[in-house]
Amino acid sequence: MSRSPRASGYFRTSYDQDLALVQTRLERTSLGVFIAALLAFPLIASPFQLDLACQVFLASIGALSLMLLTGYAGQISLGHAGLLAAGAFTVGILFRETNAPFWITLPAAAAVGGLLGIIFGLPSLRLRGLYLAVSTLALHFVVIYLGGEYEARRGFSTGIVVDPPKLGGVSITDARAWYFILLGAAAATLLVCLNLLRARTGRAWRALRTRETVAEALGIGVASYKLLAFVISSAVTAVAGALFAYYRGFVSVEAFSLFLTIQYLAMVIIGGMGSLLGALLGAIFVTLFPYIIEIGLLALPGAQRHASLLFAVNYAAFGLVMILFLMFEPLGLVGMWRRMQNYFLLWPFKHRRAGGSRG
Amino acid sequence: MGTNGAGKTTTLRAISGFLGIDDARVTEGAITFKGARIENRPPHENTRRGIVLVPERDKVFPNLTVAENLAAPVAPAAAAIERRRREALAYQFFPQLADLRHRVGGLLSGGERQMLALASGLVCEPELLLVDELSLGLAPVVVADLLRRLAEIRRQLGIAILVVEQSATVALEVADYAYVMENGRIVLDGTAERLRRHPDIQEFYLGRKSGERRSYREVKQYRRSRRWYG
Amino acid sequence: MQLIVNITVLAAIYALLACGYVLIYRVSRVMNMAHGELAMLGAYLLYTTASLFTDHPVGAIAAALVLSLTVGVLVYVALMRKMTGQMVLAAILTTIAIGILLRGVIVLIWSAAQQHPLQALKFSNPSIELIGGARISTCAALMVLATVAVYTALFVFLRFGRWGMRLRAAGQNPLLAAQRGINLNAIYALAWALSTLTGSIAGMLIALDSGLDQTMVVIGLKAFAPALVGGLDSLLGALVGAVIVASAEVLAIHYVDPLLSDVVPFLVLIAALIVRPWGLFGTREELDRV
Repeated sequence: MSRSPRASGYFRTSYDQDLALVQTRLERTSLGVFIAALLAFPLIASPFQLDLACQVFLASIGALSLMLLTGYAGQISLGHAGLLAAGAFTVGILFRETNAPFWITLPAAAAVGGLLGIIFGLPSLRLRGLYLAVSTLALHFVVIYLGGEYEARRGFSTGIVVDPPKLGGVSITDARAWYFILLGAAAATLLVCLNLLRARTGRAWRALRTRETVAEALGIGVASYKLLAFVISSAVTAVAGALFAYYRGFVSVEAFSLFLTIQYLAMVIIGGMGSLLGALLGAIFVTLFPYIIEIGLLALPGAQRHASLLFAVNYAAFGLVMILFLMFEPLGLVGMWRRMQNYFLLWPFKHRRAGGSRG
Repeated sequence: MGTNGAGKTTTLRAISGFLGIDDARVTEGAITFKGARIENRPPHENTRRGIVLVPERDKVFPNLTVAENLAAPVAPAAAAIERRRREALAYQFFPQLADLRHRVGGLLSGGERQMLALASGLVCEPELLLVDELSLGLAPVVVADLLRRLAEIRRQLGIAILVVEQSATVALEVADYAYVMENGRIVLDGTAERLRRHPDIQEFYLGRKSGERRSYREVKQYRRSRRWYG
Repeated sequence: MQLIVNITVLAAIYALLACGYVLIYRVSRVMNMAHGELAMLGAYLLYTTASLFTDHPVGAIAAALVLSLTVGVLVYVALMRKMTGQMVLAAILTTIAIGILLRGVIVLIWSAAQQHPLQALKFSNPSIELIGGARISTCAALMVLATVAVYTALFVFLRFGRWGMRLRAAGQNPLLAAQRGINLNAIYALAWALSTLTGSIAGMLIALDSGLDQTMVVIGLKAFAPALVGGLDSLLGALVGAVIVASAEVLAIHYVDPLLSDVVPFLVLIAALIVRPWGLFGTREELDRV
């Protein structure tokens, strides 16, 4: 966030200015251009590109919520896919059993997510680091088992089909409509996260990530803030899962393997720990990665023979990229971005921007 | 000797190569030992070279017995007779440890623990033994006893021992040569004999007033000024 | 009777896998999330050596064991060494990434189809009739024997061996260990090598008994449960944890629902974490050091 002092030119002279999210004119114009580009994108994009964009938005919501939990509150969770599954299954089950409309299923998904958040978060009151990671991993398997059990019992062995949501008697099937819905959802999530983080909650989370004992001594209710982190993050994640269910029109446990959790973790790492921008960059990178690999592979001679190996190449390349980031760029894409920014800001000099390491 | 934060521990760590583990490194200057440059070498290499540090905290392996603590530093390939010889060395200077042989390190008292730490340092066959905060958490009687033993070790084995010690009275009694550190620099050094008579030492470390009382402000002023030319 | 045999075999599998987690955790406080994949890699290595040395099954097994030891050392030297001294989270994530990388590479090399190293070795796997009418396959019996052997060897090694003592020392206080002339890199590499070796033995035996494909990763993950239930820094704990988890799993499959097999270990794990987070035989203080 832009709490740090600027290198030059712009000084905050009132509290209102200090609180504003967007500060300088350059920021305002570039943000305006960016939003305009996002709004104009569906007009020129092909259906495939639209689908990619929608996937990125969905991934962004999940990555942002995981970033809140892991990157800011410092609680490791390996149960992210389980939470997404919980949201998706809430939609699926409610739709199948009661034919509920989306304005019931979405809040229900959020509620289920929040409730699961408490359950996922309870171990965190006693456990730290590694143990917490493993206990959330265990819960992941429990959620997946319950989902699989439902599928098996009700005879939806291949998955649950969910009809597109209806708004005023019109079902939303158009790709462009979906684009705007998911864009809105992602933007709303981003705003909620931004504001949470610059308020008391965010400061408390950062304090308890750095050192719990000290945070407690400073009068932060460690237990309640930890649970809050889990509840908020899980609720948002479950909503992402629910949107996923509607967008795909299909829910199945196969979609929520441990690999999905790892992908989300990768978004957080590759993007850069402790940065919302990082979560977004990570979501874009990880979502587009398999397509990039596919294009790269198909460009090779004898492409058709490699087609069957695609998913294996994907796995291997993905693991490799993750390792490379962990070892050589622990700050992630955000770290690269900042360095580039500083480089251009200061060119031809080689000094760092004042207080520029945090954003 | 030196106040808190003067850089004593950091100096010892830099010499023994302990710095690298905290992601820090020596960026300027050189550390030489017996003619070889040793800055930023891994600690285990320095230990084999003869520089052994007894750290201020966590100085014994808590779940290993005393005997195992003394055996761990010896290379596994060493012959049995060599292992015996080194073990005997430890018990020679710290006979009490022989009785505690099968006690687990974590259950020792502070004094026993310090003894074990010094003994297991000895087992590494140091030529330079660095001891950080010998007196930390120990009764003055125990400290005096340990210092006397160190002096004995030095006399018999002919190794150099560098001790960081808070109690100047005791330290200057046993030591041959002393350094006073402040703000990361050595501000004063000389034979123990000379330092004992140095007016600053007398006033700040030995607590003897020279002449009339001085106000606290004057003292502060004095310290501040010394930082500049230190 | 058959139930007891099933429990014993499953407990042996879990114990053999869990001791790999314990070894690495004990020296470096890192949970190796790639353990299942490393075990699987060991099994695939056996499959390859078996097809190379078609006439010497013993040679094939020996070669595979040596290779898996090498893999363990390589993983440490090439990847994990850079992570020492880093945050525990980063190290764990690296192991996850290694796991994914291995999965991809394994499919690229050996394809995703199920393989049968048993046939490649030209062994047969007759089932043995035990007292009370229970049956056990030869490979499963071998598994139990291997577990007993590995645990005895590890116990003796850690308790009385000089390298074992150094391993324990490094686990308790790596800084002091380095200071006492113990080469931490060598110790960590040793821990990784041993862990990969025991994991590979488990992987090979599972593959001999029931074929080899990507599902072995799940068994690796399930073996977390015994390691944690028993206490991550205790070998004895891993053994006891393995028996507890295996009993719960076999009984649940038999009396309740076969689908439960993938969940029960994790349910036991959650219960254990709630009641006694540091495990049955673990050291309590470990928790705060994470």
